[in-house]
Amino acid sequence: MTVGIEYYVLLSAALFCIGLFGVLTRRNALMFLMSVELMLNAANINLIAFAFYHGNLTGQVFALFTMALAAAEVAVGLGIILVLYRNFRDVDVTVPSAMRW
Amino acid sequence: MMIETLIAVALIGALVTFLAPNRIAGKLAFAISLIPAALSLWMFTAFDGSGNALLEGSTLAFESQMEWIQLGEYTISWFVGLDGISLPLVVLTTVLTSLAIMSSWTPIDDRESQFYGLVLFIEANLIGVFVALDFFLWFIFWEAVLIPMYLLIGIWGGPRRKYAAIKFFIYTNVASLVMFGAFIALVFGLGDAVSSFALPEITAAMHDGGPGAFAGVSGTTLMSFAFVAMFLGFAVKVPVVPFHTWLPDAHVEAPTPASVLLAGVLLKMGTYALLRFNFTMFPTDVIEPFVIPIAAIAVISVIYGAMLALAQTDLKRIVAYSSVSSMGYVILGLIAFTQFGIGGATFQMVSHGLISGLMFMAVGVIYNATHTRMVTDMSGMADKMPIAVGILIAGAFGYMGLPLMSGFAAEYFIFFGAFDSTMLEYAPIFTALAMFGIVIVAGYLLFAMQRTLFGPYRLETDYEVGRAPLHDVAPMFVLLGLIIALGVAPELIFEMITDAVDPILAGGDF
Amino acid sequence: MVGAFEFAPAIALLPLAAFVVALLFGDYLPKKGAYAGILATAGSLALSLWMLVAVFGGEAYNEELYDWAIGEEITFHFGILIDPLSALMLVIVSLVALLVHVFSMGYMNDEGETGLRRYYAELGLFTFSMLAFVMADNLLMAFIFFELVGLCSYLLIGFWFRTRSAPSAAKKAFLVTRFGDYFFLLGVVAIGATFGTLSFAGDASFVDAAAGAIDAGETFHGFSAETWVTILGLLVLGGVIGKSAQFPLHTWLPDAMEGPTTVSALIHAATMVAAGVYLVARMFGFYALSPTALAIIAFVGAFTALFAATMGVVKDDIKQVLAYSTISQYGYMMLGLGVGGYVAGVFHLMNHAFFKALLFLGAGAVIILMHHEQDMWKMGGLKDKAPVTYYTFLAGALALAGIIPFSGFWSKDEILFDAIILGLEEPIFLVAYAMGLLAVFFTGFYTFRMVFLTFHGEPRTDAARDPHPLGWNVKAPLAVLGVLALVAGVANLAPVAKLTGVDIVFLEHWLDGEYGAVDGLLYSEYTATAGLETAYIAGSETITLIAAGVLALGLALGGAGLAYVLYNVPEPKAHTENLGQAREVLRSNYYQDEFQVWLATGVTLPLARAADRFDGSVIDGVVNGVSSVSLFGSGGMKRLQTGVVTNYAALIVLGFVALLVFFGVYGGWFV
Repeated sequence: MTVGIEYYVLLSAALFCIGLFGVLTRRNALMFLMSVELMLNAANINLIAFAFYHGNLTGQVFALFTMALAAAEVAVGLGIILVLYRNFRDVDVTVPSAMRW
Repeated sequence: MMIETLIAVALIGALVTFLAPNRIAGKLAFAISLIPAALSLWMFTAFDGSGNALLEGSTLAFESQMEWIQLGEYTISWFVGLDGISLPLVVLTTVLTSLAIMSSWTPIDDRESQFYGLVLFIEANLIGVFVALDFFLWFIFWEAVLIPMYLLIGIWGGPRRKYAAIKFFIYTNVASLVMFGAFIALVFGLGDAVSSFALPEITAAMHDGGPGAFAGVSGTTLMSFAFVAMFLGFAVKVPVVPFHTWLPDAHVEAPTPASVLLAGVLLKMGTYALLRFNFTMFPTDVIEPFVIPIAAIAVISVIYGAMLALAQTDLKRIVAYSSVSSMGYVILGLIAFTQFGIGGATFQMVSHGLISGLMFMAVGVIYNATHTRMVTDMSGMADKMPIAVGILIAGAFGYMGLPLMSGFAAEYFIFFGAFDSTMLEYAPIFTALAMFGIVIVAGYLLFAMQRTLFGPYRLETDYEVGRAPLHDVAPMFVLLGLIIALGVAPELIFEMITDAVDPILAGGDF
Repeated sequence: MVGAFEFAPAIALLPLAAFVVALLFGDYLPKKGAYAGILATAGSLALSLWMLVAVFGGEAYNEELYDWAIGEEITFHFGILIDPLSALMLVIVSLVALLVHVFSMGYMNDEGETGLRRYYAELGLFTFSMLAFVMADNLLMAFIFFELVGLCSYLLIGFWFRTRSAPSAAKKAFLVTRFGDYFFLLGVVAIGATFGTLSFAGDASFVDAAAGAIDAGETFHGFSAETWVTILGLLVLGGVIGKSAQFPLHTWLPDAMEGPTTVSALIHAATMVAAGVYLVARMFGFYALSPTALAIIAFVGAFTALFAATMGVVKDDIKQVLAYSTISQYGYMMLGLGVGGYVAGVFHLMNHAFFKALLFLGAGAVIILMHHEQDMWKMGGLKDKAPVTYYTFLAGALALAGIIPFSGFWSKDEILFDAIILGLEEPIFLVAYAMGLLAVFFTGFYTFRMVFLTFHGEPRTDAARDPHPLGWNVKAPLAVLGVLALVAGVANLAPVAKLTGVDIVFLEHWLDGEYGAVDGLLYSEYTATAGLETAYIAGSETITLIAAGVLALGLALGGAGLAYVLYNVPEPKAHTENLGQAREVLRSNYYQDEFQVWLATGVTLPLARAADRFDGSVIDGVVNGVSSVSLFGSGGMKRLQTGVVTNYAALIVLGFVALLVFFGVYGGWFV
């Protein structure tokens, strides 16, 4: 018995929403990064589930790409957070607001 | 290739001057500007065109045309040429630029190379506006004029220069947008009848059936809307009341040479465009419903502008508001739609260019010496600067329309043409009302002169106010000479103007 | 034929050359350019006399010389029209100009004035403009030089620009005449547009065109041709009223006495102010078409004659008295022309030019004598110290007062005679006549009040006891004009001619084309066009003539006699106190100046300020309002840009959800 595609989609949607919730509510940059990871992985689940559903490997290959991308993103993101910490002695994302009016 | 040379010399000159050291920039720019001036004067003598550039059956002088961009089904080309209306304005531009450069030697003492470079850049674009016969080409020049003028006012201007520069730029730019939209709608409405943006082609199509329905609007309505929108767009540039408020601010803040070019040539862009587009391109039955409102606007501009000038105490503001008044005459002449009306309006463009240029220079020379332009601060200037003051008096009388100076010829032609108008109902009444401007203009100029120039000398300065240097006075003498020459012999340019005006009156089929 | 008329342009161009020479080289010339001016005006005078001789020889000249602006329907040109009228006027103008130039050497050069280069240049330009105006063969050219004359008067009145009063007077002169010229220019435009021509004479003259239009019963702009011609005539009359200082635009002339006295003589007595009346005479054929216009001219003239004469009675400044007498005398000319007395009007124009130039130059001499004092109460007793000045001045005064046999008597008598015979037919003109007659009395009074106060009695100040000596260049012009003031009346001894039957009405023949003439510009033709009916007392011309003459002379002598009684005493007293309330009214010139100043500063200026406030607050307010609204709007909008990434993300999500919902509803997912 195979699990229905709708459950994968539901799982991924739930995961995405958790990530989104994290992005919208957290002020800690690290939590931010983790939430983004969650959202990326939600997308990955979708990709893999649909690849399985369609019976080809394109989606899985894309998922691999996404993981690589996520790793790169984390690297850049951590770098930014380090700079943030160095400049503001904090990793709170609301503190640096030089880009606003 | 003459016209290309004209523009190219100014453009290259602008670049060269921009890179030259500040010390020599003024002299260099003047030397360079003499080339287009001489060239345009030569073109004036060698002029062999006839008829109106936009209408069929004409011969353009120094015409040149080559394809430039293919935009969908429309061809944009480099298309320039001169007729009896544009040539006097080109000469006005080149001569006035040279003189304006000379008159800035004294007041401009900061970033000279950039200043003179921008002045030459303006000259190139102004020439372009008057010679371009392709809408896109024309529009590029039209808009490009704004940038250097914005910088001239914004960098070298008076205390409120930023406000004035931004107001000038945004106001005129928004107006251009309105006009541009209307024109493009018109071109789309014309549909297959035109395949390029060449103005003669569009004019022919407009007279030959006009545009079809476009965007759910019938062709006739489209033409009326376009007429109004373009009139409003150009009216800001002219400027007519109630779109005039940018002008006094810009003039008061602008340095003298910028004022000279602004009043002398930039305002004429608006009236020139009105003549070319609204009154040449559109068939008369489109114009007719708007004759009375436009004539009313003209009269209001004349009288209201003059009344505003009467209330001012800043010499530059006085001249600025009187420009509004004088430009009202041009509108009246255009809407009269007679030979002397439109011819006189064109003559007034040239004449007012010379006279207002002279007035701004003279006020500038006095300002250089006194560092004030307030009527209330000065008294008896004639004692200290007899020559400059003498020229100022001559210019003021020119402004008042003293006979045998160009202003009288222009105003007389306009009044005669307006009175004689068949298109304008109640023409005598409109003429009589507008003509009252000549009394008010005499009033405010005489009052201002009496208080500043005459009476016992009184001015608080910690230095000796002396005579103006020769290079301040020389350009004014040249202008005065031209003003008197045109006043004594208006036929010098009126002949070619009427030649270009007649086809307009004939309604395009000439 | 290479005749005299080939040189006609030179009459005007010579003074123009003098202007250029004086302007450019005046400082380096002996007498600062005076000689250039004298040479030029002498040349003009010689040429003008030649024109006079040529016209006498039966020729006339009407040529278009230069096309100023060529149009399809009408071509504006410059041309020269030499006929009896203009030839006569040319001589008058150039003669007075020459004498004024000579006199100026005594009045300006010898008195150590500065700015003489400017003075002589402006004098030359003035003479040029006036001569060109006189020669003009069309209305536009006339207007052009009319305005230039106005410019020169502005410059010359404001000659002493370092004072406060002179520039103010100059401004007033130009502005008030400009107001009149506004109507004139409108008239020029309207006549040109209506008839397609502006020529005074010839085949295509606007006078002929107007007559033709009236005959054909045409209508213009909803008016019948007669009404339209009247309107056009009155518009041009506006310029005349301004330049000839007629009520209500007379206020500038007394102020214009701020200029040097020589300038007053040239501009405000003999020539510039004459330009207005000359214009009426020039286009008299046009006015003759409109009885209404003529009647208005007559009444404006008569009223001005009386009105100005009453004001002259109380003035203390010798030049002020002359100023008001000028206004009054031009009123007479207008009255004469208005009642159809073309010859009488021109005759008085000529006589007045001579005797008023004489009086002004005489006043100038008095001012030199008095070390630049102009108050008559500080003079007295100059009779014995300056006999030449006294006797010439007296000749001018007698002419002005209209005492037989001086020139003024003949012309004034003729004007009044023309008025009364018209008035007997149409009683309304009797009112005009009565005003003119009453003014004769006042004229006699103020003229001799001036003479007695200035020259008779005991010297009242040190300056009067020890007058400044006069040079030949002051005395010579006075002598020439003094003789002319006495004998100029011979030109048209109409009463004598009518009484004795001897044909000595030379001027009438002259103006009626007995010699050279241009068609359509003849006295008899004007009379025929105007068609004014006249009547006589008891049906007898002789009785009317004698009655009118005796009445006028009696009143003039009465006025002079009253002045004799009151002021020809060793220590005259001011009698103006006896006038009571009227004194203040007269001294204040009927508050006309106050009224006009109020119009300028009490009405126009507040209106202008209100317009300025309106412009600054409402019109510019809207412009700035648009920018404020957009600034305020974007001020609100920019608050969205918090700089907090979380908020941006929330907005993105919200936007995405909103889009989803939108497409959902729109695409029918929730059905």
